[in-house]
This record gives sequence, structure tokens and C-alpha cells, in this order.
Amino acid sequence: MIMAEPVERTESEAPAPEEESELVRRARRGDLQAYDDLVKRYQERIYATIYHMTSNHEDANDLAQDSFIKAFQALKSFKGGSTFYTWLYRIAVNKTINFLKQRKNRTHMSLNDIDFNAEHDTDLIALISDNTPRRAAGLTELQKKLNEALLKLSEPHRLVVVLHDVQGQSHEEIAEVMNCNIGTVRSRLFYARQQMQAELADYLK
Amino acid sequence: MNENENSFESLRRLLALKNRETPPPGYFNDFSSHVLSRIRAGEAREPATAAEHLFAEAPWLVKFLQLFEAKPAFSGAFALALCLVLVFGIVFAERPDYSAPQPQLTQMAENSAPLASISPATVLAQPSDQVMLASDNTNPASSLQPVASLFGQQNTLVQPVSFTVPGN
Repeated sequence: MIMAEPVERTESEAPAPEEESELVRRARRGDLQAYDDLVKRYQERIYATIYHMTSNHEDANDLAQDSFIKAFQALKSFKGGSTFYTWLYRIAVNKTINFLKQRKNRTHMSLNDIDFNAEHDTDLIALISDNTPRRAAGLTELQKKLNEALLKLSEPHRLVVVLHDVQGQSHEEIAEVMNCNIGTVRSRLFYARQQMQAELADYLK
Repeated sequence: MNENENSFESLRRLLALKNRETPPPGYFNDFSSHVLSRIRAGEAREPATAAEHLFAEAPWLVKFLQLFEAKPAFSGAFALALCLVLVFGIVFAERPDYSAPQPQLTQMAENSAPLASISPATVLAQPSDQVMLASDNTNPASSLQPVASLFGQQNTLVQPVSFTVPGN
């Protein structure tokens, strides 16, 4: 299964708002079946965001579960000012950032395997065979370097790169999740990309 | 901004590799059941600690503490202010306040009228071992109770007494 492809969510793909609000209403009354549906709907995206932020599968697993449990606890305080997804995303992001602050300088990567189909991805093949001076570098090494470069960014900068460049969210959506203005998102994205480009200079054109 | 997007195109293609990192097969099949079992186990409905409950009830407290984290100088200033309050509290608590009227003396003065009705003859007629001593108690009825004298000596009665001269 390919995880959290950058998705341009259109009206037809997005879950019907009535359906989601109905699920949220039922979950607030303690209906676990309704909450199960909500978890299944967002588990991959929430897990992926946390995984890309931590570069650690076990931490991502724990934090994703904790985020869903925390969201269930706090459902009564969900006023509906934003979508349930954005609200859930904020909980997950805050939990992750707090976790990363606590474990500062104790980084331990536990990377997931690369999807088998990646070997047939023309973009990636081109990156390895043509664009990198180190032609012997395989996908695994590239993955390791990429994650190391990400971990060198500060949490807010990493989050912007993950949400925009990896998960394909718009500046507006990111601003809403991070509770900041769009200008801040753009400047953080620019700075983070610059820093990553410098880190990965050997692997880029 | 488009120029920037183009200059980072290689990086964006490289970052696409992140989407190829997948968790173990079947990982998401059990994910929601793990979450629900933890919720059913009661982990969800009860706040884990008293601190979490407090933070849930008072979100302003969280913001206040976050301010400490964001600006260490602020926490230093706050600690200094607390120390000053403590020092001033101790200094003012130890200083006696002379300007305020002493409640005990005031009450003594108010209650001195019944003493005036006691004639000196009555006082002198008391046996020496039943001489009354003034005490801290402001109630004249209880403070003038007979007290046995120490070492058989006559105690000096220190008590405001007013004598009424017959004929005045």
C-alpha cells in the first residue's frame, strides 16, 4: 500500500460533510462504531504525517494512536469551527511537536521499507542514475540521507515541508493546521527547502 | 514564487521518495481496533493525571506555561517577582503595627466600669491566698479569679481601681 500520496482533494473525493458530521455527532455520544469509521478514514494520513516528522515507525504508531484517543477524549470540546479532519490534524501535529521537543538530540531513525514499485518510478530512477554524482547510491541510501536532512530542520520547518511537498497540502490548509498566516507558511517552506537543498546537494542536480 | 518552485523541482522529486516508505503489510488493518481497545480499556475517558485534568479545565494555564518555555527571561522575571512578594510579606508580618488600636486594651477599658463598683473594703477583706492576679484575659470576671499566692507572699494586685468617696 502506498502511503498518503499527495492528494489534491476535490469535492467529489472528499467525504460528504453531512456524513462526517453525523459520524462525529454519534461518536460524541459514545458510539465507538462511528468513531471506528472516523479512525479508518484518517488513520493513514495521520500516521504518515507523524512518521515523516519522526522518521520512526514505532514512535509514529504510538503517537498516531495517542492522537486518536486524545481526539476521542476531547470530542465534546469540538465546536465544529473547522472540519473534523483539520481539528484532528492539529491534535496529531501538536502531540508530535511536543514529543520531538522532549526527545531533542536523541534521534533514532526506524525507517519503513520502500515500496517495491519505487524501483519502477521513472523520476526516482532518473534521480539515482542521472542526477546524482554518486551513481552507486541506491534507494535505501537516498532514503536515509533524505530522512537525515529532514531531521536537521526545526519542527515547524519540517512540518511545512512534510505537509506541502510530501503530502501535497495547500498553503491555506497548512496555515489552518499550524494556526499561522499563509506568509509564514511560504517563508518557512522557502527556508526549509533551501536548507534541504544544501544538505542534499550531492544528490540533486 | 514560480521561479522558486522551479529551482526546487529536483528536491520535490526527491521528496516524493518519502511517499514510497510504507509501514509493514497489514499494519492499518489492526490500527483502529488497537485504538478502540485502548478507549474501551478506560484510557480515553479518564484524564491520565491531575495535571492533564487541570490543563483541560484551564487552557489559559497552558498558554501561561508555554510563555515560560518560549521566553526564559519571562520565567526569570516571574520568579523574581514571587521572591519579592515573599520577602515583603515576611518583613511586614514581623513589623508590629503601632498605629492600629490594640483590641485587648480597648476591651479592657470598656469593661473597667464593673470594677469600679467593687469597694476597696471588699478587696482588702480577701484572704492573702486568694488575692486576684491580673491576667492576659480581658474578661474581668474571669481575670479576677482568686489565685493562690506563691511562696506564701502577698501578691501585688495590678488592676485599675477607682474609689468612690461617700458623699461625692
